Amino acid sequence: MALQHFELHVLVAMLRLGGDTYSVPLVLALEKRLGKPVAQAAVFIALSRLEKKGLVTSRLDETPGGRARRYFKPTRQGVTLVREMRGEHARLWRGLGSVLRAPR
Amino acid sequence: MRNLLRWLVTDADRRAIESELAELYEVRRREDGDAQAASWLRRQRSAYVRKLMAERLRGAISGATSSLPHLGRDLAYSVRSLIRTPGLAATIVLTVGLGLGATTAMVSVVRSVLVSPLPYADASSIYWLYTDNPPFRFRFSLVDYRALEADHPALSEVAAYTSSRVTITDAGSADRVNAKQVTGSYFPLMRQTPALGRLFDVTDDARNERVAVLTHAYWTRSFAADPTVLGRALTLDGASYTIVGVLERSDGPLERDLALFTMQQWAVPKRKGPFLWMVLGRLKPGVPLSAAAETLRATNARLFPVWKSSYQDEKATWGLQDLQSRVVGTVGSTLMLVLAAVGCVLLIACANAVNLLIARALGRSRELAIRGALGASRGRLLQHLLAETAVLTGGAAVVGAAVAAGAIALVTGYGAGYIPRVDEVRLSGPALLWLAALAAASGLIIGLVPAIHSARLKMNRALAAGGRSGGEARPARRMRRLLVAAEFALATPLLVAAALVTVSLDKLARVDVGLDTDRILTAAVSLSGRYPTEAARAAFWTRTLDRLAALPGVDAVALSDSRPPREAGQRNNFDLIDKPTPPGQNQPTSPWVGVSLGFFKAAGLSLQRGSLFDQSSLQQDVVLVDRAWANRFFPGEDVVGRRLRNGGCTTCDPTTVIGVVDNVKWVGLDATEDGTVYFPFVDMPNAYLVLRTGGDPAGLANGVRQAMKELDPELAVSNIATGSELVDGALATPRYLSVVVGMFGIAALILSIVGIHGVMAHFVQQHTRDLGIRLALGGDPGAMRRMVILQGVALVGVGVAVGTTAALLSMQLMSSVLFGVSANDPRILAGIPVALLLVAVAACALPARRAARLDPATILRES
Repeated sequence: MALQHFELHVLVAMLRLGGDTYSVPLVLALEKRLGKPVAQAAVFIALSRLEKKGLVTSRLDETPGGRARRYFKPTRQGVTLVREMRGEHARLWRGLGSVLRAPR
Repeated sequence: MRNLLRWLVTDADRRAIESELAELYEVRRREDGDAQAASWLRRQRSAYVRKLMAERLRGAISGATSSLPHLGRDLAYSVRSLIRTPGLAATIVLTVGLGLGATTAMVSVVRSVLVSPLPYADASSIYWLYTDNPPFRFRFSLVDYRALEADHPALSEVAAYTSSRVTITDAGSADRVNAKQVTGSYFPLMRQTPALGRLFDVTDDARNERVAVLTHAYWTRSFAADPTVLGRALTLDGASYTIVGVLERSDGPLERDLALFTMQQWAVPKRKGPFLWMVLGRLKPGVPLSAAAETLRATNARLFPVWKSSYQDEKATWGLQDLQSRVVGTVGSTLMLVLAAVGCVLLIACANAVNLLIARALGRSRELAIRGALGASRGRLLQHLLAETAVLTGGAAVVGAAVAAGAIALVTGYGAGYIPRVDEVRLSGPALLWLAALAAASGLIIGLVPAIHSARLKMNRALAAGGRSGGEARPARRMRRLLVAAEFALATPLLVAAALVTVSLDKLARVDVGLDTDRILTAAVSLSGRYPTEAARAAFWTRTLDRLAALPGVDAVALSDSRPPREAGQRNNFDLIDKPTPPGQNQPTSPWVGVSLGFFKAAGLSLQRGSLFDQSSLQQDVVLVDRAWANRFFPGEDVVGRRLRNGGCTTCDPTTVIGVVDNVKWVGLDATEDGTVYFPFVDMPNAYLVLRTGGDPAGLANGVRQAMKELDPELAVSNIATGSELVDGALATPRYLSVVVGMFGIAALILSIVGIHGVMAHFVQQHTRDLGIRLALGGDPGAMRRMVILQGVALVGVGVAVGTTAALLSMQLMSSVLFGVSANDPRILAGIPVALLLVAVAACALPARRAARLDPATILRES
């Protein structure tokens, strides 16, 4: 399954936050990790796509006071995909340390 | 943003987005302060809308791509299903095709005539320079041009030319062609290059040689593109010229109908007038137009004192206008009007097609419901309906291309006389792209509305209804009614415009030219330099008048340098001795018509006061004026004996008015009558023959040709026309406009009638059962009839009211093409809506009669 770069970021941030989370902690966590501002809309769209791909599920949580949050949780397929991608990346980067460290 | 979000995401998601945004905003506010957080919030809101819209678009594209495999099947099915309803398919293909073709043709015309740059290198920097004497703009005098040639700081180059008809004689045959006498700077300014030999340059000005350059068209036509033509001699108006070059092929307006260029040999002027020189200039790069105009005025102001003795109108200065707008002239408003008319017809055709397709979709609701029940998704059904529209609009585009090609051929052929640059109009690649884009837009309009309505059909209801009526959904009914109202709203201003131009044409056709046009024949004769002295010319014209007067059927014959209703030879400024022009004001001007002594008898003009010209007039400075002139300058006073100085000359002898004659239209049928001055002449180099006959003037033509050939076989007689033909020629443009707008108006009306009839017939069909029950319960058939008619008329009434308001607001734009009728003429603005309502009553009469004649027993038994 094709996963875009930012979708992977969101999925990893979600795992880091222990699953079952919504856009606000995700935006803050991503900004902290990436060191740059992240648009909430971009996170919303990435989450929608991940849900369409079956990698996360969501539920709407509304309080009588009017507060509404959509909580997302990675599915088993989502967790598996992150694991596979981590392995793929590790294989991809393996042995490149000396090249990337060498002064040009 | 909330509204947009409502459209982009579900309500639940929108609430979550709003709430989570507010939550993050609080975090930002705590960390960065109020101002930064507020700005962040604004950015986030717009990012949501932008990104969600992009996501929608991406989804739509990928959806369309994934469903491509079904497309071929859908298209084939659509063709088969449309063949089963050939009437509907043909109506849509033909009406929309007609609208598409006509719109494409008009877009092509407008693009070529008004938008495309002239076909010259860096054409936008070429300007026409004119003598500016408000309200008139006229050409330069040679004195002015020579002064400009020496001093033009804002222009990189200037050039001048005069145009004339010349006679090319070759072995006893004479050919009349158009020629330009140009300065050496002309071709360098136009950046034109030779196809053969050389063109003129500024060194030619000093050489004073008789040399000519042929246009490519004339070289091809008359010399069969012979490359050995260079160096050959050509006899022009009796003088021998050497051909030195052939101009590259050019479709430009300055080369239109032109045979050749000759090098100017203008004598050094002794006085400021006449104003016959067309002057062109190229604006220096980076110089603003206002600065260029200012330098022109300054040069003119320096020149004025030098020539004050022969031209004293101090207010007259120089101006410049870009060559393109000068060439296009006033035809722009006419073209835009026709474009608006065809655009309206296209929209009405689309509205009609939508209406027919909604009706068809409603009729097929059961078929669609079954397909849905068998597993077809709404998207698939929608795609199927859109495929049907694609087939229809594809057909319409093919018809449109044929109509556009035909319409362009018609416009270029028929409009060549009065639409400038029309020969540049082609059904080109960009025009076909336009057609494709218009067809796609029409397809979207035609396809989407019925498709959306079909998609909204409740399948259960459609299946339950068993396909009998399908139960027309309320939105569909509302949409169909709205479309019919819109058709009438579009047709109303179009018909108002058609009525206005037709009334205007009628008024113009009834204008009294002043001459007895039914009994007059005219022809142009140029002496072509064959009679170089005044005495020789006078003798020739005397022989001519005697010879023509002896022709059988000729009652009188005369000469003039102008021809009504729109070929006034010259216009002159003058100063009245009794009422001098106050300092700082413009001198008055009038058409100045030169006539032979017997002109007034030949033209059938009666003398009102004073006396006509006689032999002694030729030796005196005397003129005749018409009634309009007398009323303009001496209302209620005697004009005979009044004196004036013409041409701005202050030292010349004054000219005396010796009589007043009837008015004649010399400068256009639609021109206001502000007076004409007649002066006597017998030695003009070019003149119009004016012959009066008791019978059919056209019958004299051969006799005139033969007589002129006998008098001098080397002279060419051209432009032979009866008085009625001249008036007809002047009416060609308004007639063209009224035929075109009238045709589109009628097309719009027919489409609208089809629309209202269709809707009301469908209404009666849908409500057959209700109407039957009403009749069974003792309902009055007359009341049924009235109800159907009133429903239809109410619908049309709304459209007509909107259309009349639109007409009221927009018709002012038509003022420039109207004559003798106001753009807000109350009779037309009231008459057309009333006529449309009556038409609507007639269109609804048939469905109404059907409603009144329903047989309740049969209907109740069937249901």
